[in-house]
Amino acid sequence: MWIKHNRRLLGKVLLLLAILLIGGVTVSGCVGRSPPKGWSGAIIADDTLFLASVEGKLVALNTSDGSRLWEVSLGTSEVAIYGTPVVEGDLVYVGGYNGRVYAISSSTGDKRRVYPLDDNLEPIVGGMVASQGKVYFGCSDGKVYALDAAEVYKEWEFQTGDKIWSTPAIDGETIYIGSFDKKLYALDAIDGSKKWEFDEAKGAIASTPLVYENTVYIGSFDRYLYAVDATNGSLRWRSEVEAGSWYWAKPVAYNNVIYAPNLDGKVYILDAMSGYEVGDAVDLGSPISSWPVVVDGKVIIASQEGKVYSLDTSNNQVGLLANVGDGGEKIYAPLCAGDEVVYIHTQTSKHDTLYEVNAKTGVKRELWSSSLSSK
Amino acid sequence: MLELWNAGPVALMLNSLVALSHYLFGSFGLTIIVLTIIIRSVMYPLTVKQLRATRAMQELQPKIAELQKKYAKDKQRLAQEQMKLYKESGMSPAGCAVPMLIQMPIWIALFQSIIRVLAVTPEAFLGLSKYLYSWPIVYSTLPLGNNFLWFNLVNPDMPLAILVGATMWLQQKMVTPVTTDPQQRSQSQMMLWMMPLMFGFLALNFPSGLALYWVASNVIGMVIQYFVTGWGGLARSRAGIPAGRDGALKQRIAQVEQSPSRITAMEADIVESPSTQEEGLGYGASGDKRQVGRGGYPTSLRAIRRQSRRSKGHRHKRR
Repeated sequence: MWIKHNRRLLGKVLLLLAILLIGGVTVSGCVGRSPPKGWSGAIIADDTLFLASVEGKLVALNTSDGSRLWEVSLGTSEVAIYGTPVVEGDLVYVGGYNGRVYAISSSTGDKRRVYPLDDNLEPIVGGMVASQGKVYFGCSDGKVYALDAAEVYKEWEFQTGDKIWSTPAIDGETIYIGSFDKKLYALDAIDGSKKWEFDEAKGAIASTPLVYENTVYIGSFDRYLYAVDATNGSLRWRSEVEAGSWYWAKPVAYNNVIYAPNLDGKVYILDAMSGYEVGDAVDLGSPISSWPVVVDGKVIIASQEGKVYSLDTSNNQVGLLANVGDGGEKIYAPLCAGDEVVYIHTQTSKHDTLYEVNAKTGVKRELWSSSLSSK
Repeated sequence: MLELWNAGPVALMLNSLVALSHYLFGSFGLTIIVLTIIIRSVMYPLTVKQLRATRAMQELQPKIAELQKKYAKDKQRLAQEQMKLYKESGMSPAGCAVPMLIQMPIWIALFQSIIRVLAVTPEAFLGLSKYLYSWPIVYSTLPLGNNFLWFNLVNPDMPLAILVGATMWLQQKMVTPVTTDPQQRSQSQMMLWMMPLMFGFLALNFPSGLALYWVASNVIGMVIQYFVTGWGGLARSRAGIPAGRDGALKQRIAQVEQSPSRITAMEADIVESPSTQEEGLGYGASGDKRQVGRGGYPTSLRAIRRQSRRSKGHRHKRR
């Protein structure tokens, strides 16, 4: 009876509810409030390639035939992995966006250790480096951590002024790492004490430092690349050219030339000593967030839209090597150099794939793929 | 189309947010409040127009209900009579919707830019870079601080969600018309509770930065509404009288004006006729323009208005 009497009112209420719900979902969908997915790169140790999938699994592949050796889920639920795994001894280490570090047996895939045991840190976005029995990483809580590689307990930590998404670089007994507090830090790898800090960048630092010829090269959100003396942290030069966007990817160096990719889609070619441009910036037409690699005198660069380019260092000419983005695949993960080949981890909203691309011929081979069921 | 939208209004709003936060001590919370105030101020004329048109439409409701009853079986005639009533009262049914439609894209752009600037995941943060202008101030200010008052602007916050619901309820209450029709009353009651509950629920599922924007927008909306239409339903619920700041006056106006032709006089402020401009304008207790002279209130009514103004001691800004 009541329903009959208020049928019009009910209709209006339901219509309004539907509009609000559809509006809410549309607006949230338009601005991409999606969960973190991850974009881990690959690493090779003793003919085995380790890769963290977008599903939150650590996968071990035989590089010669692409056969899967093992795979293991890192958490009880899916864990987004952004950092590239690192191998030290017989363990593979990987940090998750859930704020945990996992140590997995490189031969069997057994989960050996987790840090911290009972709690979670803030999200870990950067990758890890390992040296002399320690594993180093930065965390979104703004701290740099050093863990004992064998037992996976904390040896020291160092607090910076903001979150860290950068992967540390290690050279001898010094750790270099950038922070969102706009500073580059040099820390003692043994005890975590600060050796120096560089604070002349005007923007946050999310990219990973490159250490080359006693100089640390680091790109910033202020659109400049900086060369800093590795010994005392003094500025050697700031790139003469202002890029169009943030420096996100780690640069590479070859024959005293720095190749610095930028999110404006260009690769800036700078003299390592002076910072002057030694060639016109190469425009790839799509943002570059993936780290390039050098294979046989050629810089292999991948743009986000899935195209892989080869830049000849002798004449700075660039050519398309392969296109792995035919099916809408995107490349965010750092590239991994193998023997005359490059490993490229791509992803779409439905699956992620590992390609092997010959650095000379551009012939590509799909090594591994995973369909994403729940993300 | 989506690219154009993102590169245009969203990017403009987003960069303005980042640049403004540079001057507001890097506080993104403060930036959201200040930008909401700025945009609300810029759109003040449209808001006022919309509020007045809405109020006028509400005041026409009894007449419309009468027509609906009278021509319940003749839809065509009903439509004709309704149009005639709108014409006579000098208002357009689109008067409420058009200002709101003009404002909508601006609010959506602000909404989207807040979510984008609050980029939580690395994917969202990386995506943010493509919307940034080449202003050095933008590049040096990012990333913005996420903490404001007691909450983190990135995460949903229960007290803030309650605040969203409460302020929205108050604002809804101010615009809810008094009606004797039970169906209309239950409809108003449903709206009064449903909107705050819906937005409170949405606030629990979105970053707090967005909830902060809703709270700021609601509070500013209430202030504007107070100066345009008074406390409205809020005053009625307090005192039990059917009016806002100029409630007593309106009650007496309603008693004096009983014929449909009076509606024309009352609502002449919505669409100004040439004769209105020629004959000059008076101002009501609520600050509204009213016709003086031919077609205006009877002399006795103007006396009531003067008395009401004196007794309330309100002085209203003239536009």
